[in-house]
Amino acid sequence: MRSKDGKNNNMTDKFILKKDHLVSFLRRLKKEYHLVAPVKNIQGDTMFTLVDSVDEVEFDLVNQAVTSIKPFLFPQQETLFTYETSANGDYRFDSVCNSQPTVYFGVHSCDLSAVLYMDVTFSLTARDPYYLEKRKNAVLISVGCNEPSENCFCNAAKTGPFLEYGFDLQLTDLGNRFFVDVGRATGQEIVSKWQHFFAPAEEEDVKLQYQTYLEARGKFTRQVHMDQAIKRLKSGKVPESIWSELSLRCQDCSGCAYICPTCTCFSISDRKLSEHEGERLRSWDACTFSGFTRMAGDHNPVDHRTQAIRQRFLHKMLYDVQKHNRPSCIGCGRCVGICFGGVDIIRFIDLVTN
Amino acid sequence: MIHTINQNIYLPRPAIIKELIVENSQIKTFDLSFVDEEYNKTFTYAPGQFMMVSIPHCGEAPISFSSTPSRPGTLSLSVRKAGTLTNAMHELTEGAFIGLRGPYGTPFSMDALKGKNLLFVAGGIGLAPLRSVINYCMDNEKDFREITILYGSRLPSDLAFTADLDLWQKRPDTTCLLTVDQAEPGWNGHTGVVTTLFDKITVDPSSTVALVCGPPLMIRFVLAELSRMGIQDEDIITTLERHMKCGVGICRHCHMDNKLVCVDGPVFNRAELRNLEVAELLT
Ligand SMILES: Cc1cc2nc3c(=O)[nH]c(=O)nc-3n(C[C@H](O)[C@H](O)[C@H](O)COP(=O)(O)OP(=O)(O)OC[C@H]3O[C@@H](n4cnc5c(N)ncnc54)[C@H](O)[C@@H]3O)c2cc1C
Ligand code: SF4
Ligand code: SF4
Repeated sequence: MRSKDGKNNNMTDKFILKKDHLVSFLRRLKKEYHLVAPVKNIQGDTMFTLVDSVDEVEFDLVNQAVTSIKPFLFPQQETLFTYETSANGDYRFDSVCNSQPTVYFGVHSCDLSAVLYMDVTFSLTARDPYYLEKRKNAVLISVGCNEPSENCFCNAAKTGPFLEYGFDLQLTDLGNRFFVDVGRATGQEIVSKWQHFFAPAEEEDVKLQYQTYLEARGKFTRQVHMDQAIKRLKSGKVPESIWSELSLRCQDCSGCAYICPTCTCFSISDRKLSEHEGERLRSWDACTFSGFTRMAGDHNPVDHRTQAIRQRFLHKMLYDVQKHNRPSCIGCGRCVGICFGGVDIIRFIDLVTN
Repeated sequence: MIHTINQNIYLPRPAIIKELIVENSQIKTFDLSFVDEEYNKTFTYAPGQFMMVSIPHCGEAPISFSSTPSRPGTLSLSVRKAGTLTNAMHELTEGAFIGLRGPYGTPFSMDALKGKNLLFVAGGIGLAPLRSVINYCMDNEKDFREITILYGSRLPSDLAFTADLDLWQKRPDTTCLLTVDQAEPGWNGHTGVVTTLFDKITVDPSSTVALVCGPPLMIRFVLAELSRMGIQDEDIITTLERHMKCGVGICRHCHMDNKLVCVDGPVFNRAELRNLEVAELLT
């Protein structure tokens, strides 16, 4: 890992992977793992995609993918159980979980940080076997961002543009080659197993990597005062009127929560398949929906006209700080692009800090 | 397949309806036991906790224990018809199977109630979780001082748990007063909302713990009244209802500011609720 002065302490976890070798490397990886990577689709959008053939896709490691890898670890809809009843009253559930060893390649630093956050969400109060099974099978190869996108503020969220930990391997684009940091054990195994792709990094490479990192940090266009916002929220100095002001603009679509890499609220429901069979499904849900808290008899403890987005922003910026000492907005900026009411987290931070 | 299938927190276990008691036109009590005999022997719970109940094709709903763990081998849930699942559950007969997972939630702290006078205030189905505590206290009567129960329902024919009410009213060490919002022919008892019963009792605020459960509006008025009587916030305990899906602190449907009712509650004392946006307490 990088030391503060950019000097290199331990050369055995720093390598060079030539760009010319990338596709053959991925081809090898794909023999043992499923491969999910940011791929340009025919509309020109970059999407994390389950790659069929590495030779037939265009990888895009630079632009931020439209969605994070959340849907792969926590699908929009998944079957938890199939169930059966019978005439004599029997009622049986069978767990369903299809998870394969998968390499997530080209994950940006913020999105990887989101995975680390989800690890906590799905194991802190109870162990969620569906998420954890997929996570156990996940190898994370991240890529540092030399060119942050327009709405990015991972610098303020402290989740990028490069990472110190959490990845199996982290790549840095050095022009004709990638600098490779080895993080977790699986990363080490991959480098050892396919060592002919990896040359030890030279002193020069380490310096250039550090240089790249410093330059990237200077390229953010957005000034987002996250720490200051958190401080104000903690001190309770935020006027209540903020909530109704923002809620008025919320159109109850929950696009912000669905696109957000750290929003993981869900619902559980049954789908009847026949008189005696069905499946229990889990699907994404969001605190911004007015139905999220509605109870039988139409009683709703949350007044959504004035509080629609209160839980969303406070969960991320205050409650998680109280609980885990850090916010759960990872600064990806996706909700900024998606909200047509302009009720995004940057607007909120601006309102709070003004 | 999930390898650790027994650790799948979402997996319901089949249970059978052993006995069904019709409490009133809206509420039935289901006496249950798990199909797995071994599991029945090890299963334990505490008053105030709840189970997630599965009914075929209807998903799940959180339901409190209305039975007490001090009577081993009994597991009762009392259910009011409220919507899809609860209506379907009312259609079931003895011998039918349901799914259960739990127990979940932070229970009443029975140790903290020891040596206290206990004042129970319930409305409608709200008596279900309190019945668990009341019967627990009756089974361990030496641990507690005087017990007072105030129970209100809309109509006399809506009074639930009448068998328990009869027993409680007969006990010399227990005061059990009933009220209805609206009298019906044949009703000679008290009429008026449950707070009107407070005039009929004397409470020593320094030695009394109050336990409250009922509709949101009732909770609001009763809590205000109890504070007015001088009972400390820590000694006013209520149990809250919220929309819930997972029951284990992940799905977040039951959020209440920085708390999740399923794991941080459903039992809260008034001090814990003071600084939160709690719908039941907002005026
Ligand atoms: C901790 C706890 C303990 C409870 N104990 C009891 C009890 O002992 N007896 C009893 O009769 N009822 C109890 N309830 C309320 C009971 O869970 C609801 O009446 C029930 O969920 C309604 O489901 P439904 O499908 O019949 O209604 P619908 O209106 O058709 O429900 C639709 C969906 O909304 C959700 N929902 C609606 N109302 C509630 C609610 N009040 N609480 C949670 N989720 C809700 C459910 O997830 C359901 O799937 C309790 C609720 C909580 C949170
Ligand atoms: S709140 Fe917005 S900027 Fe923050 S992580 Fe979620 S989508 Fe990204
Ligand atoms: S912000 Fe809202 S939708 Fe997102 S995880 Fe928190 S409670 Fe759920």
